[in-house]
Amino acid sequence: MELAIAIGLIVIKVGILIAALLLLPMPLVWLERKIAGHIQQRMGPMRVGWHGLLQPVADGIKLLTKEDHIPRDADQFLFKLAPILAMVPPFVVFVAIPFGESVSVLGHEITLYVSDMNVALLFILAVIGIEVYGVIFGGWASNSKYGVLGGLRTCAQMISYEIPMGFAVIGVVMLAQSMSLLDIVRAQSDVWNVVYQPVGFFVFFVAGLAEAQRVPFDLAEAEGDLGAGFHTEYSGIRFAFFMVSEYAVMVLVSVLTVILFFGGWNGVLIPLPPILWFLIKVAFFIYVFMWFRFTFPRYRYDQLMAIGWKVLLPLSLANIIITGVVFV
Amino acid sequence: MTKVADKRNTWIGWAFFSDIGDALMLTFSYMISRPVTEQYPDTEKWLPYSRYRGHHFLKRNDEGEINCVACELCAKICPCDCITVVPYEDENGARHPKVFDIDTARCLFCGLCEDACPADAIALGQQYEFSSFNSSDLVVGRDDLLTKPGKAETGGGVVRARLDTADGVRVETAQDEGYNWWRNIRRK
Repeated sequence: MELAIAIGLIVIKVGILIAALLLLPMPLVWLERKIAGHIQQRMGPMRVGWHGLLQPVADGIKLLTKEDHIPRDADQFLFKLAPILAMVPPFVVFVAIPFGESVSVLGHEITLYVSDMNVALLFILAVIGIEVYGVIFGGWASNSKYGVLGGLRTCAQMISYEIPMGFAVIGVVMLAQSMSLLDIVRAQSDVWNVVYQPVGFFVFFVAGLAEAQRVPFDLAEAEGDLGAGFHTEYSGIRFAFFMVSEYAVMVLVSVLTVILFFGGWNGVLIPLPPILWFLIKVAFFIYVFMWFRFTFPRYRYDQLMAIGWKVLLPLSLANIIITGVVFV
Repeated sequence: MTKVADKRNTWIGWAFFSDIGDALMLTFSYMISRPVTEQYPDTEKWLPYSRYRGHHFLKRNDEGEINCVACELCAKICPCDCITVVPYEDENGARHPKVFDIDTARCLFCGLCEDACPADAIALGQQYEFSSFNSSDLVVGRDDLLTKPGKAETGGGVVRARLDTADGVRVETAQDEGYNWWRNIRRK
C-alpha cells in the first residue's frame, strides 16, 4: 500500500510536469510576440481573444492540422527521430529539478520534486547535451543546404559552450559541498550564490543563452541567413516538437540559473510563499531571455567559439581556482 | 555616438559591458513606451485631411442641379483614360452628362480632373474605403458619384471606430476630431 501510494504520487507528479511543459510554450509564445511587438513599438497579437491571448491556441490548432511533409530525399528514419530526440531530453531533465521543499495536502507531506538525486547537476548537464543530437540529426536528415548548415553550426558551437557551462557550476558545487539541487538551494538560505559567484553566473548565463539557442547565439536556426536553419524542412506537428523543445530548454536554463545562483525559492525582504518567489525569479529570467532576443544581433559562429574558448573558459577556470583558494 | 565611443575607450566601461547595458536600456524604454500601431478596422480609424484625394464625387448647385456641363475636359486630361462622359441637352437647352462613369480600378487619383474642371463639378473627396471583389463594381456611375462624401472639413486625426461586418464591411466612426497619430512617434 505504501509503495502503491508512492508510485501513484510519482506518476501524478510526472503527469503534471509533462502537461505543464507541453502547455507552457503557449503563454511563452504569446509573451514573446508581445514583448517583440512592444520593443518595436507595435502591439503584437491583438485579434484572437483578449489582447491576442488565444493566438497560440489558434497557432497550435493550425500546426496540428497542417500537412506533415517529409522531403523525398530526406533520411526518413532520422527525420522522424530528430524532433523526438530534441523534445525528450528537456522533459527528462525536469525530473531532477526541485520546485520547492514540500507542501502538505490533506495531511500528507508532498515534496515539490520528483526525485532528489545526489548527482542532479551532473545528470542535468549530461542529459541536456543529448538535445543537441536532435538538432544535428534534424539538420542532417532533411537533406537541405540550410538544414545542414544549421546542424553544422550547432556541432561547432556545442563544445565551446558546454565546457564553460560545466566549469561555471563547479564553483556553486564547491560552495554547497553537494551536487544535489536541494542542498544547493538550502546552502543559499542566507546569501545567494550570485554574491559569491558573479563570474560564475555570467559564464553560466552566457553559455545558457547558447544552450537554449537563443539570440545572440541562435546560429542553428538563424532565420535571417539560413531560412529556419535545422528545421527549415519541418512542418506541422514535427515543427511544433522543435518549438516545444526550444521553449522547454529556455525554461530549464532560467530555472537552473535561479536554483544555482539566485537562491531558488529563498525570498528576500518580502515574505511570499516559496513557490511564488521561485516562479517570480524564473519569470524574470524568461523575460530577460526575450528581452535579449530583441536587443542583440546574432554572433557569427566563429565569434561564438572565440567567446567560448578565449573568454568564458578562462573566466570559469579562474572562478574555480579563486573559489577554491578562498572558501576551501 | 561620441558617448558610446568614450565609454568604450575606458576599460571600466568595457569590462562591465556598458554598451550592452545601453542597448538593453534603450530597448526597455521602447518596450514601455506607447505603440504607434493604428488599430485600423477594429477600434481606430484615420480621418483624411481636407486636401486628401479619395473617391471622386460630383457636386450640385444650390438648385439641386448637377454642376457638370459635360465639357469632357476631365476625360481629355485624365492620364489613364478612366472617365467616360456622354452629354445630353435638357429642355432648357443646358448641357449635362447622361453618362458619367469613372473606372476607379484604372484611376490613379492624381486630381487632374478636379483641376481641369471649369464648372467646379468634380472633385476628389475623403472616402478611401471602396475596395471590391468585383472589378465591375469599381466603375462608378453619375448617380452614385453624386452621393459620395465630399471633402473633409478637418481631419488628420485618429478617431475611435467600430468594425461592422453584419451587412458588408463598414468601419463606423462617431467623432470628428481625433488624436494626432504623430504624438507617439519618437524623435531624437
